Amino acid sequence: MSQVFHDIEKKIITSLRNGHKQSPESLEKSTHLSPDQIRRGIEWLKLKDLAIVTESKTSVISLGKNGLESFEKGLPERRLLNLLNDGSKKLSFLKDQLGSVFGPSMGLARKNNWIETSSDSISLKNLPGELPGEKTVNLVGTERLHLDKIDQDDLSALLKRPDFIIENVVKTKQIALTDSAKSLKLSDSFGEIDVEAKVPETFVARTHPLKDTIDEIREIFVTLGFSEIFGNMSQSSFWNFDALFTPQDHPARELQDTFYLDGVSAKKTGTPDQIRNVSGSHKKNWRYQWDINEAQKMVLRTHTTCVTIKHLAEKKPDEARIFSLGRVFRNEKVSYKHLVEFNQVEGIVVGKDANLRNLMGIQREFYKRIGITKIKFWPTFFPYTEPSLQTMVYNEKLGKWIELFGMGIFRPEVTKPLGITQPILAWGGGIERIAMLKYDLADVREFYNNNLGWLRSSSKCQ
Amino acid sequence: MPVVELSYSRLQKLIGKVSKKQISDSLPFLGLDIESEDKDNVRIEYSPNRPDYSTDFGIALGLQGLLGIKTGDIKLKIKKSSKYSISVKPGVSKIRPFVTGIVAKNGKIDDKTLKQLITMQEDLHFGIGRKRKKSSIGIHDLDKISFPLVYSTADRNHKFVPLNSKDEMSISEILTSTDVGKDYGSLLGQSSKVPMIFDDNQNTVSFPPIINANITTVTTKTKNLFVEITGIGRNDAEDMLAVVAMILQSAGFKLESVQISGAKNTSPEFDMRKLAIRTSLVNQTLGLDLKPSQIVSCLKKSRLGALSKGSEIVCTIPAYRFDIFGPMDLVEEVALGYGIQNLEPTMSPSQTVGQTNPVSLQLKSLDKTMVGLGYLEALNSSLTSQRVLYDMTNRDSSKIISVLDSKSREHTILRDSVLPGLIENLSKNIHESYPQRLFETGTVFTPDNPVSEKINFAGICAHKDANFTEIKSVVQAVLNVGFGIKVETKTSSDPIFEKGHCASIILNNLQIGIIGKINSAVVENYKIRVPVVGFELSLSGSILATEN
Repeated sequence: MSQVFHDIEKKIITSLRNGHKQSPESLEKSTHLSPDQIRRGIEWLKLKDLAIVTESKTSVISLGKNGLESFEKGLPERRLLNLLNDGSKKLSFLKDQLGSVFGPSMGLARKNNWIETSSDSISLKNLPGELPGEKTVNLVGTERLHLDKIDQDDLSALLKRPDFIIENVVKTKQIALTDSAKSLKLSDSFGEIDVEAKVPETFVARTHPLKDTIDEIREIFVTLGFSEIFGNMSQSSFWNFDALFTPQDHPARELQDTFYLDGVSAKKTGTPDQIRNVSGSHKKNWRYQWDINEAQKMVLRTHTTCVTIKHLAEKKPDEARIFSLGRVFRNEKVSYKHLVEFNQVEGIVVGKDANLRNLMGIQREFYKRIGITKIKFWPTFFPYTEPSLQTMVYNEKLGKWIELFGMGIFRPEVTKPLGITQPILAWGGGIERIAMLKYDLADVREFYNNNLGWLRSSSKCQ
Repeated sequence: MPVVELSYSRLQKLIGKVSKKQISDSLPFLGLDIESEDKDNVRIEYSPNRPDYSTDFGIALGLQGLLGIKTGDIKLKIKKSSKYSISVKPGVSKIRPFVTGIVAKNGKIDDKTLKQLITMQEDLHFGIGRKRKKSSIGIHDLDKISFPLVYSTADRNHKFVPLNSKDEMSISEILTSTDVGKDYGSLLGQSSKVPMIFDDNQNTVSFPPIINANITTVTTKTKNLFVEITGIGRNDAEDMLAVVAMILQSAGFKLESVQISGAKNTSPEFDMRKLAIRTSLVNQTLGLDLKPSQIVSCLKKSRLGALSKGSEIVCTIPAYRFDIFGPMDLVEEVALGYGIQNLEPTMSPSQTVGQTNPVSLQLKSLDKTMVGLGYLEALNSSLTSQRVLYDMTNRDSSKIISVLDSKSREHTILRDSVLPGLIENLSKNIHESYPQRLFETGTVFTPDNPVSEKINFAGICAHKDANFTEIKSVVQAVLNVGFGIKVETKTSSDPIFEKGHCASIILNNLQIGIIGKINSAVVENYKIRVPVVGFELSLSGSILATEN
């Protein structure tokens, strides 16, 4: 199979075959490609194991401020010697001519015994040949030179002197072909691309996986003849608890299970009739002093049932299939299996043929539509339904029965005080549990982490 | 849900001819969930409305019925006795006014029975006793007590040797230094007197609802028991007593009555109630066509008495079944006796046409449009924190709605804005590749007699070239394609946005939202290294259909 290369790759391979290693800069010159094209080309070849990149560090030498001045005018001591070349000079004259380098140049000249001093004039004693450092200054000039191209002895004389030499460490890359690349046959035709190469990942924009499950469930309810109703997440205790026959001292109503809104109370809860009848039902059946203040406390709904019961109390339909879907809240410690806020769906059937076996039938149909066929029903207890059942579904992956939706028929103690005479089937439960099975998640928190790694990769069409 | 620990071998002894498998298969159909199993031992969750299932004695009675081994109601056999009495003094009326009790004789208490009785007591205290507030139990060794007893009060400096102690302690010491004292002392309020049961020799028997005296401690050597229950309501105390009496009788004790008198107290009656149900109600509710005789048999399997009388069935309900309020509760008992596994699901065709709420439809099409624009949907909690909503974003926190006693610091305040959550999301994804584009629609909350809830829509975009123009173009497109509306932007300012890069979103001269480049200080707070632009607008009222 012959490999197809991009034109950039071909040019780089060709250039590297001619010589040995090259730096990216030299490749630029030899291939006439842009630095960015070279960078990409090298990356591609590296990925295909056709090029080896070795990195090394080298020092680069350039002249500092004083070095550059010396390149122009000569080293300070050379300037002094030049001034003395045609006879002795007054000290003040030399100071004037040499300026700031007078001191250092005089020091060096005296130390090396090049000059002699008589009263206020200076004259030449021995004229040296090439001065230490002169060679380097002239060699480097205004360029940047690699350290290894410079006489180290000569350079060392300058390194001690301030602002003469700047030493920079630079990383250099050397690119060489691997053995397999050297023998590659390059196709002649230009414009072909490597269609087998790996490409960068493209991320799909999408709706949230949990939202997909919610939408799917909403559609199933509608298909089964249910219509959707909405309600607030903040509710009075009256609708969340009292209207559902949950006594005011019930443990579920405690702060440690339910979120109460700090300092927020509902002035209006039910109608005067509703309040009288509901409180009457509590007093008669639970035998305690019912307190309106307790009923007015605002809570974050612990179930969507408060929305449906409010709707039923208002409309009192003879026949209806309705559902409500949305967030509910529990004051729980957040863990892999518990959230403080999750989604719940609840369906309601009102009508003459509302009986327990039909309720079970609707469940069976619902589960069938989300792909669960192995189900069974167990009795259970809810404060506001009688009889009450729970669905157990068999999970093939886990190899065990797990509990999903609860269901039941609203108690007369719930419906009668609200003026509802028809039997009402109610059923529902948490949606995250179903979504966890669907997406094979072990940690329910993942739905709300908004971890792009997961959102971008989780499979959409299941 | 309360949990009770049982052993299969003990259950088998209590029930009679039954296999382990029959038991484990039947438990769920009594409404009992098996939580875990380990050879002979099994942990079972039961519903708080059935306190009689707090011991294996009660569960055995239920299983006997369901399996058809013994059916019908359980009658308490209580020998009338004048030997045992409690007289009540008026002093208790304002603190804990009622007491009741029973004597149980000639029983055998082995380790396991003792354990069952202790968990029963704990469960009853926690559940129907409402953490001892409504009613509480003391179980004593009868032979250590001299009758008659007095239910009276004592000062807080009164001393006795409490359960599990060697030394005398004063009431005040008990309330401040023992666990039960600290947990339940508040039930007594600030009154200087506390309730107390004394025997004929002036010995302290019990300090309800806190602790018994050490002298009456029940051990595996105890043969005869005295049970007292005190409470704030007579019915609540007698309900609890009915459960205890039934369990002790099932455990093999012979019951004898205790006379109670004084300060509006009377002796317990343990009356069986009669309640009638119509056959038609049963069949209508369950979707069955049962004959009266079949219904009677189902009820008996649920350990109730039942007699068919014309179109009605008259049920006899033992006192411990106070969870039965009316006919519908009996329907459930029929269903249990019938066996839930025998109920065949049916499907009646819907008479109604289902409809998605118009708001849901609009939101769904909005989702699709945003996805088309390359935005990924995020979901955040509506109950979030001061940190995310205000501290990190410099937003005004003067009108917050917070919840009481949240167990999680990250969930204490209802969001009034969606955008801060999205910025937080970006900060958790700085290692993921850019561009990052997120959107969310969700409910926001503001205080408004009592709370106003609206649906907001926010979007955010982060990459090295993100700018105002890009995000404005997105908002324009989504509102135009999604809802056919055109909006304008007008120079504005907001702490979450950069000055000079922030505008109000205006629809028909009304501000419906805000848009701009996120303030660099906010972006820096979150250590996000690319520019971020975003918007948030209110969909409720101006754009969405009315919800209901």
